[in-house]
Amino acid sequence: MAAEPTFPLVAVVSSYPLLAEAVEGALEGIAEVRAFPAGQGDTADFLRLLQPAAVVVDSAEEAEAAAEFAREARATLVHVSLREDRLRLLHAGRWQNLSDGSASPERIRSAVAAGIYLRGVRT
Amino acid sequence: MRRTSIVVADPGPIFRAGVKHLLGRESDFEVFEAATLPALSQTLEEQQPDIALIDLELPPSGGVAAVAGLAPLYETRMIVWGFEASSEAVLAAVTAGSKGFLPKEISPAGLIRSLRGVVRGEAPLSRGLATLMIDAVHGLEERGRARERAVTLSTREREVLALVARGARNRQIAQALSISEFTVKRHMQNILHKLDLPSRRAAGLFYRSAFEPAGVFDMERTA
Repeated sequence: MAAEPTFPLVAVVSSYPLLAEAVEGALEGIAEVRAFPAGQGDTADFLRLLQPAAVVVDSAEEAEAAAEFAREARATLVHVSLREDRLRLLHAGRWQNLSDGSASPERIRSAVAAGIYLRGVRT
Repeated sequence: MRRTSIVVADPGPIFRAGVKHLLGRESDFEVFEAATLPALSQTLEEQQPDIALIDLELPPSGGVAAVAGLAPLYETRMIVWGFEASSEAVLAAVTAGSKGFLPKEISPAGLIRSLRGVVRGEAPLSRGLATLMIDAVHGLEERGRARERAVTLSTREREVLALVARGARNRQIAQALSISEFTVKRHMQNILHKLDLPSRRAAGLFYRSAFEPAGVFDMERTA
């Protein structure tokens, strides 16, 4: 019997559960997506325990908390601003605004997939 | 089994995709997408979905205007949803023909439960929003009574009262309206007498209750 393929883990820390649904749909066949509620106050610590390959958040507060982990673990971090319809990506320890176009699931997929690939190349 | 068809009318591709992915796992839903009012109109015309989930800020004129224009034309049950809303926006949505109001923070299970409820004829409205609706209706009644009382005021007295409500002093009011301070005082006396109010502060509060919109309501506290 063939073993189930194991996908990299992507954590979505969000106040809007539908964001996790959208990310899960966008990363189908690429990554395993798990959703966590925002605002629990322990984001950096629990990400250290979970060790995801990428993190998606939807608030500036969670972005700053997750950035601690992302810098340590060289994980991809995407901050989706749902109200402003904008994306930014933590890359090489610095935030980059992805300003061309809106915050679509496809753009999240591109950012996360590229980050996961580059992380695999580096390690 | 007949599937419930839903059009998600939202300018945000993430919310459209999120709802589509969520309901795609359920065998009893079929989902269409629309990012603007023209796209929504086209979907309603061509697909005649059972439910339309319409964003409060749907371009170009917002979800309330969309519901007001479309609800009389289609049998589709329309539900407005949004990040946050003033009490007046929630009331306006329901008055325009929305069957309820949902917060975008809604859980996947909550959204599915709400949509199935809509099919059964239920109105999706969280407890907090229901309370808000009742408050808004009461506020409208009070506002109506206050406006009836305000009919006794002259146009000039209304202008003076509006400035009083903004905290203006007699001298500032006199300058703004190009009248003397004495005349302002006389207008104030008439206003208090006509409205049977005890003080300038009460007059300011009266004006705000009659003519100014309610504050923004944060749905995160009540969803």
